[in-house]
Amino acid sequence: MTIEEGVKYVAAAYAIILAVLVIYYFMSARRVTALQRDVQLLEDEAKRLQTPVGEAGAE
Amino acid sequence: MKKLVSAPALFIGAGVFLITGLMLAFWYSPVDSSSMGFSQKIFYYHVPIAETALVAFGIAFVAAIAYLRTQDLKWDRLSYVSVRLGLLFSILVMLTGMIWGKAAWDTWWAWEPRLTTFLLVCFLYAAYWVLRSVVDEEQRRATYAAVFAIIAFINVPITFFATRFLPEGLHPVVISAGGTGMEGSMFVSFFISMIGMTLLLVALTRRDLAIENLKDRVTDLKTSLGG
Repeated sequence: MTIEEGVKYVAAAYAIILAVLVIYYFMSARRVTALQRDVQLLEDEAKRLQTPVGEAGAE
Repeated sequence: MKKLVSAPALFIGAGVFLITGLMLAFWYSPVDSSSMGFSQKIFYYHVPIAETALVAFGIAFVAAIAYLRTQDLKWDRLSYVSVRLGLLFSILVMLTGMIWGKAAWDTWWAWEPRLTTFLLVCFLYAAYWVLRSVVDEEQRRATYAAVFAIIAFINVPITFFATRFLPEGLHPVVISAGGTGMEGSMFVSFFISMIGMTLLLVALTRRDLAIENLKDRVTDLKTSLGG
């Protein structure tokens, strides 16, 4: 197989690999960020509920 | 919280090795002299991805045994994440293998030992996911999944040795006990890509574990808040 014949197959294979891995990388990074935000919000809410009403008002 | 996030250094390291391996594959390693010719360049990522997929299933197997011994859910999470990444890498192997098959053998698919056993591995681990989705109770789901991961792993060494036991298939045996069967420059490119892909697996495993831990934390907090 010549380079001219083989190049489209090689390009397609590497394009698929790199596209899938890069998409997975960014999707998982976004998922971590979103979950960290959720945890932070829920922890803040839990703290707010634990704080007595008087103390919360004094703050 | 910081500890849960994957170390960027691992991703950077993986990227450096993978890009270097790719550049060496095209500019340092010669075009294969066999009938495969230029299409052999697919080998430099295809084989490392395949071996990394099998390593991921191996990690899932070991983690499954650890879970059954300790009943600690952290092992179940590791097993689950490893299967997920192993499947991702396996799908890439199948896709790139089909492209390479079309280029080298003029066929997208052949029912030969390596391809057939690898397809079976994919189906088995896809079934692992289905199994997890139908069991609600956490400990029981983890136990069933662990047993399944151990049984499914039996097919992994069969896949690896398929070309050695049944050499009449299309897949050549490149790396054996007798040597690598490739030129020095080809092996360097392959080996660097292999390191890169392994680092990528480690980095993605860490990140996916962080995701699973964060999901558990969200569930716990929601439960404690009564919702």
